Amino acid sequence: MGHRSYVGQSPPRREDPGLVAGAHRYVADIVVPGCLDAVFVRSFEAHGLLNAVDLAAAQSMEGIVGAYSAGELPDLPVTPAPPRAEVPPEMSWPALARDRVRFAGQPIAVVLAADRYTAEDGAELVFADIDPLEAVIDPGPAASDEVMLFEPRSNVVSVREFGAPVDDVMDSAPVVVETIIRNERLCPTSIETRGIVVVPDGDDITVHVSHQAPQRLRQSLARSFGIEAELVRVIVPHVGGAFGAKSQTYPEYIVIAHLARKLGRPVRWIEDRREAFAGATHGRGQTQRLRLAADREGNLLALEALVDADIGAYPHTGEFIAANTGWMLSGPYTIPHLHVRVRAVVTNTTPTAAYRGAGRPEAAYALERALDRLAHRLGADPAELRLRNFIDRNEFPYRSPTGAVYDSGDHAAALRLALERAGYDDARAEQRRRRTTGDGNPLGIGIGSYIERSGGQEGSTEFGSVTIEPDGTVVARSGATPQGQGHATAFAQVVASALEVELDRVSVIQGDTDEVPVGVGTFGSRSMQVGGSSLHHAAHDALEEARLRASAHLEVAEADLRYDDGRFTVVGTDRSVTLGQLATERALSAQAEFGPPQAFPFGTYVAVVELDRDTGDISLEKLVAVDDCGIVINPKLVEGQSVGSIIQGIGQALYEQVVFDEYGQPLMSSLMDYSLPTVAELPELVLDQTVTPNPNVPLGNKGAGEAGCIGTPPAIVNAIVDALGGRDEGIDLPVTPEKVWLVLSRSD
Amino acid sequence: MHLQLTVNGNPREVDGAWEGESLLYVLRERLGLPGSKNACEQGECGSCSVYLDGVLVCSCLVLAAQAAGRDVVTVEGLAENGELHPIQKDFVEAGAVQCGFCTPGLIVATHELLARNPRPTDPEIREALAGNLCRCTGYEKILDAVRAAAVRNSRA
Repeated sequence: MGHRSYVGQSPPRREDPGLVAGAHRYVADIVVPGCLDAVFVRSFEAHGLLNAVDLAAAQSMEGIVGAYSAGELPDLPVTPAPPRAEVPPEMSWPALARDRVRFAGQPIAVVLAADRYTAEDGAELVFADIDPLEAVIDPGPAASDEVMLFEPRSNVVSVREFGAPVDDVMDSAPVVVETIIRNERLCPTSIETRGIVVVPDGDDITVHVSHQAPQRLRQSLARSFGIEAELVRVIVPHVGGAFGAKSQTYPEYIVIAHLARKLGRPVRWIEDRREAFAGATHGRGQTQRLRLAADREGNLLALEALVDADIGAYPHTGEFIAANTGWMLSGPYTIPHLHVRVRAVVTNTTPTAAYRGAGRPEAAYALERALDRLAHRLGADPAELRLRNFIDRNEFPYRSPTGAVYDSGDHAAALRLALERAGYDDARAEQRRRRTTGDGNPLGIGIGSYIERSGGQEGSTEFGSVTIEPDGTVVARSGATPQGQGHATAFAQVVASALEVELDRVSVIQGDTDEVPVGVGTFGSRSMQVGGSSLHHAAHDALEEARLRASAHLEVAEADLRYDDGRFTVVGTDRSVTLGQLATERALSAQAEFGPPQAFPFGTYVAVVELDRDTGDISLEKLVAVDDCGIVINPKLVEGQSVGSIIQGIGQALYEQVVFDEYGQPLMSSLMDYSLPTVAELPELVLDQTVTPNPNVPLGNKGAGEAGCIGTPPAIVNAIVDALGGRDEGIDLPVTPEKVWLVLSRSD
Repeated sequence: MHLQLTVNGNPREVDGAWEGESLLYVLRERLGLPGSKNACEQGECGSCSVYLDGVLVCSCLVLAAQAAGRDVVTVEGLAENGELHPIQKDFVEAGAVQCGFCTPGLIVATHELLARNPRPTDPEIREALAGNLCRCTGYEKILDAVRAAAVRNSRA
């Protein structure tokens, strides 16, 4: 009998029967008797002096259990910054505003009642006396420090540089294209908002929370409250999407935990949609100035990128997300000289953090738009230009000029496959026909080639353990906690394959720090690459331990043992022992904390668009996505990640934008103001892949899940600009029919 | 107020409800039926979709008082004899579920679509489900699930 392996298969998701029945529990579904509901009072000014918070009316309202501002809670900890962020202490984020408010939506006070409706009424009665100050919402002007958020400290929190100035090359290069790109802010908009329930028990607290990294949250809460981590149990139930915005410790979490500890009563906060737009972190938000130099044949000579990252009112995760952009800016190309400067700048807006892609979409979009500008200038085919400059497949591992070490790749193969699947030559012929004859609407073909980085921070590990129970079942524990990706199914495939046992024998436990005290979390397309690899190693170690025990038990050399389907048999006999029997007297378990190098998935997307000459309407006729994430463990799950990510990329390209007015007021407070793609916007998608195995992990897989929103926006916008004959003035993200119409009308 | 209504075929009574609270709140917080999800409370995402006297509604937009004496069916009421409804199975088989938070609303909306139009075309499916937002799946597999249900109906 052959080796039993589930790698490459798509068994049914274990999570689904309970989800389609509405039976699985999310944080808002958890019933805790006597739990108080919290409602936050938020700043209506983007910038101002907070003179006083009058709680008297709320406190005296019937049914209100308590109302608190920072003044009532002198021991309230500040919002802890993530370890990687460079946050000067004077720029720390108070959990409730003290003296000063710096963005509209910032929590000022909190009101508690036995039910949400009463607490909302109480919150209405809180009066905050705020003297408004001038607000600054754009990182460029903010960097000039004319309006300061933390005077006397500059609004520029950090400056990171990659490479060295390239002015000499620019001055002598035959061709230089320049472009300024505004990579708009987006709202991650998981359908489930944030939520937390904190249940105190003496000095212990149990925290039910919708989160991506429960172990990290546990450490963070313990440090904030000055208690041992052992006193904090974090449980993550089913999570209704996250996309990067549920990876941090939020001010609201500190407040809720603080009140639960102070009052000795369970307290919950379930965010409403309006709060989710103003109070939860946003993503993207960069202004990028690029200069790209080439010779007349199109060989790239140098790239300069000056990036101002709008990180919102308080430096948090967004501070280092911007660095990812710098790190990835040379993309899949050989660029001899590179200089990137990334400034992280505070503004009077909602703080930023990770949103799916987290710095890489910003890099890919900027570079791919600049490449198309260059192709237009040279009169070159954009596909040919990319093929000319791709890192050769024989040059891997490749050290990029920013210092990233790309593990493997064959970028030309992915691009050629994408062109073929898109019918590129036919589309170009049709485009020429329309241009020549003037028949039909403008047609555009756009390419977005990308390289992405999966695995999270270099060297970061994930915890995995595999325990064989006496009944022969297997329990896998992982620190990679899911938000709907299907980890329980895919991790079981990895462990069952490594142990060569039936898939159904493996159960997966995640998301409870009592069960899995150690772990890093799910973000950066790392779960299968890092967490899956750890489980693979743990399973192998458990099997080797079992082999040793089987050898002793059966009194034969290991070489005389045959292993099959959970059973060791002495070759040529019927003497055997099962994994379960070997786990009866002594626990049979192994664990791993594997930290492979980052991986660099890649691919090429091709979009075909048609523009309505009269209305500017954009019809996305076809989107071809060719991704290479190495060996695929579960094709159905990866496809689901691809499509979901692509639609988010379409949202960025065509619909979504967080807008603040000049006073810093967010102009979107509901899903009517912020256009998520609906089923009606789903275009024809063609998915394909090339497979370049990851040489640094046992199963050869790389991260999947963020590629779609990296490759899609440049492909679509390049297609629109192509349809407009290269005229890109005013074609900013998101590209609306109005912007297209303005370009079309100028030419007519 | 004292509220009487029928939920998933069972008569239910609620004491102490406020007339202005939402039917969604009654279902989730008072009747122990959290399958219907609260994702916007503004009738924009469809996650709380239920039947009210056979009509598809966003339960966040129905007041408790409006639900008095009415017949409500939620996602919890679609399974038959402890078996998932065929539409629920279609969603599982198509890979139409990721985080699952929008799923109950989509299941109820699909159930309603197929009840009035057993063999919908793609444009009809898109129109019917355009009020249900999903952020994870990108909708393609949801379309597949509904198409599969339509094919099953054409065989029946």
